[in-house]
Amino acid sequence: MNKNSILKRWGRGIIKNKKASFGLYFVSSLIGLSIFGPLFTLDPTAFLGAPLSPPSLEHFFGTNGQGQDVLSQTIAGARQTLLVAFTTGFFVVIIGAFIGGAAGYYGGKVDDFLSLIINVFLVMPGLPLMVILASWLPPGPLTLAGVLILTGWAWNARVIRSQMMSLKGRDFVLAAIISGESNSRIIFVEIMPRILSLLASSFIGASVYAIGAQVGLEFLGLGDVSTVSWGTNLYWASNDLALLTGSWWTFVPTGLSIALISFSLTLINFGIDEVTNPRLISEKNWKKELPDNTLNNGVTPVVRKNV
Amino acid sequence: MLKTILICLFIFSAGCGTKKERKEERALTIYQENAASWVRNFNPLSTSGTARWPTSSGIYEPLFIYNSMRGEYIPWLCTDYKWEDNNKTLIMYVRENVLWSDKTPFSSEDIAFTFNLKKIHKGLDTRDSWGYLESVKALNKTTVEFKFSRIYVPGFDAIVGQPIVAKHIWEKIKDPLRFSNPNPVGTGPFTEILRFDNQVWELGKNPNYWQPNKPEVKKLKFPAFPSNEQVTLALISGDLDWAGAFIPAIDRVYTKKNPEHHKYWFPETGHTTFFYTNTMNKVLKDSKIRKAISYAIDRSLVVKVGMYNYTEPAHVTGISGKMAKWHSKDIETKENWVKYNPQLSNQIFDDAGYYKNKNGFREDKNGDLLSFDIIVVSGWSDWIRSAQVISQNLKKVGIKAKVKTYDFGAWMSRMQKGEFDMAIGWAEKGTTPFPLYRGMMSSKYIKPIGKDADANWHRFSTDEVDSLLLEFEKTSDEYVIKDILHKLQNIFINYAPAIPLFAEVSWAECNTTYFTNFPSKNNPYAPLSPNSAPENLMVLVNVEVR
Amino acid sequence: MSNSLQYLIRRLGFYSIAAWAALTLNFFIPRLMPGDPAAIIFARFRGKLTPEAMIALRETFGLTDGPLLLQYFSYIKSMFKGDLGVSIAYFPEPVANIISTGLLWTIFLAGTSLVISFIIGTLLGAIISWKRGGRLDSFLPPSLAFIGAFPYFWLAMLSLYIFGFKLEWFPLRHAYSDDVTVGLNIPFIFSSIYHAILPATTMILVSLGGWMLSMRNTMLTTLGSDYITLARAKGLSSWVVMLKYAARNAILPNFTGFGMALGFVLSGALLTEIIFSYPGQGYLLLQAVRSQDFPLMQGLFMTITLAVLAANWFVDIAILFLDPRTRK
Repeated sequence: MNKNSILKRWGRGIIKNKKASFGLYFVSSLIGLSIFGPLFTLDPTAFLGAPLSPPSLEHFFGTNGQGQDVLSQTIAGARQTLLVAFTTGFFVVIIGAFIGGAAGYYGGKVDDFLSLIINVFLVMPGLPLMVILASWLPPGPLTLAGVLILTGWAWNARVIRSQMMSLKGRDFVLAAIISGESNSRIIFVEIMPRILSLLASSFIGASVYAIGAQVGLEFLGLGDVSTVSWGTNLYWASNDLALLTGSWWTFVPTGLSIALISFSLTLINFGIDEVTNPRLISEKNWKKELPDNTLNNGVTPVVRKNV
Repeated sequence: MLKTILICLFIFSAGCGTKKERKEERALTIYQENAASWVRNFNPLSTSGTARWPTSSGIYEPLFIYNSMRGEYIPWLCTDYKWEDNNKTLIMYVRENVLWSDKTPFSSEDIAFTFNLKKIHKGLDTRDSWGYLESVKALNKTTVEFKFSRIYVPGFDAIVGQPIVAKHIWEKIKDPLRFSNPNPVGTGPFTEILRFDNQVWELGKNPNYWQPNKPEVKKLKFPAFPSNEQVTLALISGDLDWAGAFIPAIDRVYTKKNPEHHKYWFPETGHTTFFYTNTMNKVLKDSKIRKAISYAIDRSLVVKVGMYNYTEPAHVTGISGKMAKWHSKDIETKENWVKYNPQLSNQIFDDAGYYKNKNGFREDKNGDLLSFDIIVVSGWSDWIRSAQVISQNLKKVGIKAKVKTYDFGAWMSRMQKGEFDMAIGWAEKGTTPFPLYRGMMSSKYIKPIGKDADANWHRFSTDEVDSLLLEFEKTSDEYVIKDILHKLQNIFINYAPAIPLFAEVSWAECNTTYFTNFPSKNNPYAPLSPNSAPENLMVLVNVEVR
Repeated sequence: MSNSLQYLIRRLGFYSIAAWAALTLNFFIPRLMPGDPAAIIFARFRGKLTPEAMIALRETFGLTDGPLLLQYFSYIKSMFKGDLGVSIAYFPEPVANIISTGLLWTIFLAGTSLVISFIIGTLLGAIISWKRGGRLDSFLPPSLAFIGAFPYFWLAMLSLYIFGFKLEWFPLRHAYSDDVTVGLNIPFIFSSIYHAILPATTMILVSLGGWMLSMRNTMLTTLGSDYITLARAKGLSSWVVMLKYAARNAILPNFTGFGMALGFVLSGALLTEIIFSYPGQGYLLLQAVRSQDFPLMQGLFMTITLAVLAANWFVDIAILFLDPRTRK
């Protein structure tokens, strides 16, 4: 099975999948907005208007407690938040793949040792560790990314490890080993393409986790509050008593943006799952054959087609 | 199913029933500082911040209270004082018929004991009283003699502000530094611990208080509030009677909800919040440059954005409002470099040889960019916002200034060690501007960069100042005092060791639904804020029940 | 049965290693950060301690002079004695005392939220997997996922504002009303439950989706098994098959997740406690961090970690009883 055709099939499948395509569309437009948007908006740090004024023609999302334009802040904030989130996701997957993959592939003592490390990190309480580390280190996006990667890599490592273990036992791998292929070739050429979907969904899952954790830490004031990011926007909104002054516009756009992008990323993950999970694929196919579209009682139905 | 419904109803009613208290039983509910959890420590001499209020001006009391509103000392545990022996001896006359809350009579021996305790255990002597005292003796039951080792008249403030502890209790304590004093015996209006849990504690009236028919309030309640939002919520919903919190947009948030009873008062303290520049920096060591920076700051914007217009731009002397009485007569003729004037700022920079490069930022003669960090305490959002405005102001005149936040400990360490370019901070305060100017310009406090300095973090001094300060310490003559302070102001204006930013304000809110006779603009017998020790003791004593 | 004992002992061994790792991390973090930890910690204590007390405190933290290894052992020794040192911000209160005030409340709030969320979530997961493709299946997962996509504190603040402040249905802060006396009495118990409802509900809502989805996934795998078909063939009712056969087996892989979630929840309750002013560990940690109270921070980290490890171990024991396959 040519690796290229697998990717092509999945790619087409994802685009056709309703959930994933909506997710992809939304995420890419938000990314595009965060890259190009700041060129068209007002300066998010300039103190332009009367503080806490509601949405108007001049300021579409109103102004925050310092008189800064909320729309510009939301768009500018997307940049840093997404940058940190995707960087974290990327490194989490890389580290997870290396450590988890090595543990699953080599087995034995290597696995014992690496699994121990993975499990120890898994069981360590994440948020307190994040809070403590973030408070010790100088505030900023680099610290945030570092802290998130440190506390988040173990989960993916474990998932990749079990996948690697199950793949390793498969025939094509045994065949490759017998035919004398080097370990690195086996890993990168034979196995990797097959766990690409897992890596992709891990990346997305890790990014979602990074968005949430990062915003949480910044909300607590542990990020660099002079920068503009979604988390710090919410920090200032709460400091300026957004809810109590009824200034919902300082609070809702950022929250909604976070929810929408996390949700869209999750939708992409659902889509990837539906496209690549063989059981769900086949299910889709024969579900269409059923008279009505419901499955009851958990039984795999048998359908008689009109011959 | 019915059982579940009944249980749920039960829970609701139990919860609801406890919400509204009966008026007669209502305790004066107070917020003074954020707390996650209360820890039972009533040691007024310990310094780490656990000597919290109302321990030191509530349970325990000082000798005199300086009333900043009227500018006079109010006799409290002492009734009078006298300087003798050319200001080398201070005699204090002790009030009679004062009892400790366990009915033991209070006397001069308690005062002498407290001061001598600080001598033995240096860790308790946070005001460094024994730096200028030689001995403290009770001459008789109503007189205490303070002998000074050197003439230091300003020492009076620290002496009269000292909370006094009971000799008959504390002489038995082996380690007063680590003594948490869980069941305090004090002379103050409230001394009985009625209840102590980690989320709320209650302080009851002292049955043997020395002021007759006071306090009217029977008990105080202190719920633990971890954040400003919670405090505001509590104020709005009427759960708090007295608070000292910074609340943005307070009219809209608080006053409008109940205009009759929701009151606040943010009086200026007379002191100033400063913008510090490290005078050891090669660019900032020039006083002209410091003034240029000051001209570039748009203080009205800083006040509007950073402080919600609760305060106003500072006076060039660093004292204003109540302290303005110390201004010299010709103060208006001096250069006013706190007035916003970006053109003049640009001109001064140009004249000094710092020209703008093609990006609009100034460079020195070697081509090095003029670039500084402004450090502020993380979490102090009003100062962070102010620093951000200043950063933008400075950018307009071509100076690169980046705002950096640090946790309080780290920030304090940097300030003390002089490891900073620019910062926003408070200054020394006192009943006269003496501590301010001493902290601004005395060479006594200067330590090399990297070593901890207690004051004068910006490390500025001139010889003229030191001799003036010495003269001041020796005199109690009002005329001489005024003269020296005028001279100090002029030196300050001349050299601009630090840049006054905006007037310092005390935050205070109150709810008059159940209690009255809080201080206010119409009744300014003390500042309203529970943070203003020891004047908050006066409020505790004088608040009345409606 | 000795196999199970072996298994439990192996797990205990693992947890001991994890605990040791946490201790070591705690020891090294201050030393790896910029600045001299001793200077930072003791700058705050300066002038408040007698020289003897200072020395004793340094020993507790292992910040004595001498080689790193000796410092490390002195630190481990104090930990085993239960001596967590003295707090800086709450001086001179011992750290252990301060921590004990919040521990029970965090366990109460986070623990009950997790248990309720797990029960409801897995139940929902079982139901929607049973009626796959039905209305519930297409509606619940996306909506719960959407709710869970909001930053938790955002939802918490909104619910506090709407249900606590505007509608006044629930209290605004604290674990119990200020009017009840602490102790084993009915008003106190009811007040505690009443005050926990809003924070717990927000925590439950946000995590519900996760449990539901993972239960649904394991159910799908289980439902393909032969014994399910057999149960149906035997004519047992749908509900019995779904609950007694399918769910009971499908829940087992989720149980390990439950154990790990215990850890996350105990520590994740931090945001809840801050928004609702709930006097637990989480808020203590934040305040310790803000006031740079390192002894308290480290003490809190240790207790949270140990609580998480203990919880995981209990879950291991529980799985042992519930899943015969692990007893092999």
